[in-house]
Amino acid sequence: MDYAEHLDRGLHDVHCSFIPGAPPTGEAEACRAAMYSPYSALFRESMWGGVPISLFALGAFAFLGGFAVYLLLARERAPKIALFFFAGVGITPLLVSLVMFTISVTKLGHLCKTCVGIYISSLLLAIGAVSGLFTLKGEARPRLGFLFPVAWLAALGLTTLVPAVVYAASVPDERPYLNKCGSLKQPKMSVGTPLKIHGSRAIQPVLLFEDPLCPTCRAFHERLVDEGVFERFDIDLVLFPLDSECNWMLDEPLHPGACIVSKAVLCGGDRVRQVLEWAYDEQVYLTRAGKAGANVLRAAIKQRWGEELLKCVDDRKTDVLLNQHLHFASDNGIPVSTPQMYLGSKRVCDEDTDMGLRFMLSELAPEVLK
Amino acid sequence: MTSAGAEPTPPAPAGGAGLSTLAGWLGATGVVLLLALATISVRVWVSSAESRLEHPGEKPKVAIADQAEVAYCTPRFKEVLERVLHSCGLAQDETRRGCKPADVKTFASISDADFNELFTPLKERGAVILFDEGMQDLDEGAKKMLEDKWFQRKGARYFFVVARASKSGNQAKNRALSHRRANSVMYYLTSVANDPEIDKKVGLLWLGNEFAQLSKDYCGWPTSRANEKCDEEAINRSAFVSWVDCRL
Repeated sequence: MDYAEHLDRGLHDVHCSFIPGAPPTGEAEACRAAMYSPYSALFRESMWGGVPISLFALGAFAFLGGFAVYLLLARERAPKIALFFFAGVGITPLLVSLVMFTISVTKLGHLCKTCVGIYISSLLLAIGAVSGLFTLKGEARPRLGFLFPVAWLAALGLTTLVPAVVYAASVPDERPYLNKCGSLKQPKMSVGTPLKIHGSRAIQPVLLFEDPLCPTCRAFHERLVDEGVFERFDIDLVLFPLDSECNWMLDEPLHPGACIVSKAVLCGGDRVRQVLEWAYDEQVYLTRAGKAGANVLRAAIKQRWGEELLKCVDDRKTDVLLNQHLHFASDNGIPVSTPQMYLGSKRVCDEDTDMGLRFMLSELAPEVLK
Repeated sequence: MTSAGAEPTPPAPAGGAGLSTLAGWLGATGVVLLLALATISVRVWVSSAESRLEHPGEKPKVAIADQAEVAYCTPRFKEVLERVLHSCGLAQDETRRGCKPADVKTFASISDADFNELFTPLKERGAVILFDEGMQDLDEGAKKMLEDKWFQRKGARYFFVVARASKSGNQAKNRALSHRRANSVMYYLTSVANDPEIDKKVGLLWLGNEFAQLSKDYCGWPTSRANEKCDEEAINRSAFVSWVDCRL
């Protein structure tokens, strides 16, 4: 339901609940991370957001639920082959769950509540399916021909596909909306220059506005890397820290310390990408340090990058550079939010940088996916 | 027949085929019902999203990046600054650079006292660069102060330089002197700013001793000669400089 809700390209709470329509829960961000990840859906290049793999599970569970009803009602009258069949197919959701669990832990670093619900359901199903075999006591049971399991398997395949096919057939065409999120008034910085990050196989120029202490920017960065498209970008990076210490567009700091960390990125020289990725990797710690005060943050920067980089951070020239980045944002009247991505002068809509990322790229910059 | 030693297979329960078939039908019905429920739900969710996509409601307002706008930017203040800006050198026409006293009087359409009053809120943001009598050269303190103020741009778009001369000397000489002081500030800023668009940012005004002379009270403002004696003569041998945090 969460997935389908986002097809309207709006910003929605993620319910992350076992009950459809239930109010959003505190565990929502883990579910959002899972939902936006490249592992949540298939065919994401040809369809906006792709087909969520949970839909296949929905169909499979419908079949397995019905089959379980049959076995429970038939009891000892159920043919042996039905029990063996159920045991065989009943463990497949567990196997898939194990794969997804591993991905969640190793790639996403989160376990979403609904995902865990599915893992537990799969485990219970597997236990139930296998334990059915222990009810066999050598009693006489009806025999069935080998065509029955083949038919059941076909039915399982069919039911697994039905919700996904219905979803795929009914999703709206998002192409007309891809280019409707505005554009830059002045694509080139009049004073100063953006930072440059050249991917190893760069082919597509792209302009990014980022805040190194913004969790959404970190998630976006990780998504670009996971999708394998980061290396295809020739990035102009403009720093847009949402911290009122340097950013006059905010009344209070949204990400305290982001100005100092942004200056560290500006001072990165030929290590800009490393400093940025360090900031993302250590974001939780740096955010805490930012709240504790500038000196704590400066100490963290010095410890990781040394005295020279810290000197650069404290240099007035770096203040001026950061100010030039912020003025580039204000000269262009962009929304005060991060991250923002521009292909040429066209702004990529926020929703096309998460669920719709691959689809957007396949439409607007297909060479990136090659 | 069973093999030797094996347990004989018990007979299948009576009526087993019928019940098994019934259970099978019930199971199949369960599958169909669950599948129908899942599929209809998916269809409804997607249709609902499609409907919202085609007929979007009001989107939440997002703040738009812009230059700074602080409390002292009253409509009156902005009106005067706009007139001055458009008439004193920030216009596109490169032939004009700055405003002489007569221009300021004409364009600002404001009394001396009101003109100075407008700049009062800039006490913390700006500074008064002081000069020697009859001179336009910047001393080290002036250069440092100027750099400090220039590089504290924050979200401002325009930087104002309002040069003056004290009452001693004749009007024409003071007009020229204050013009040279304004240019001296501009020249130094150009040398340190490394900003190709500096001409679009700096508004120059030179008032000679004809308009909006400063009172001794302005000696209490940040000046480039904080430790020197300041009087009404000294404070007018000056250029007031400040970024202005108003969207003009």
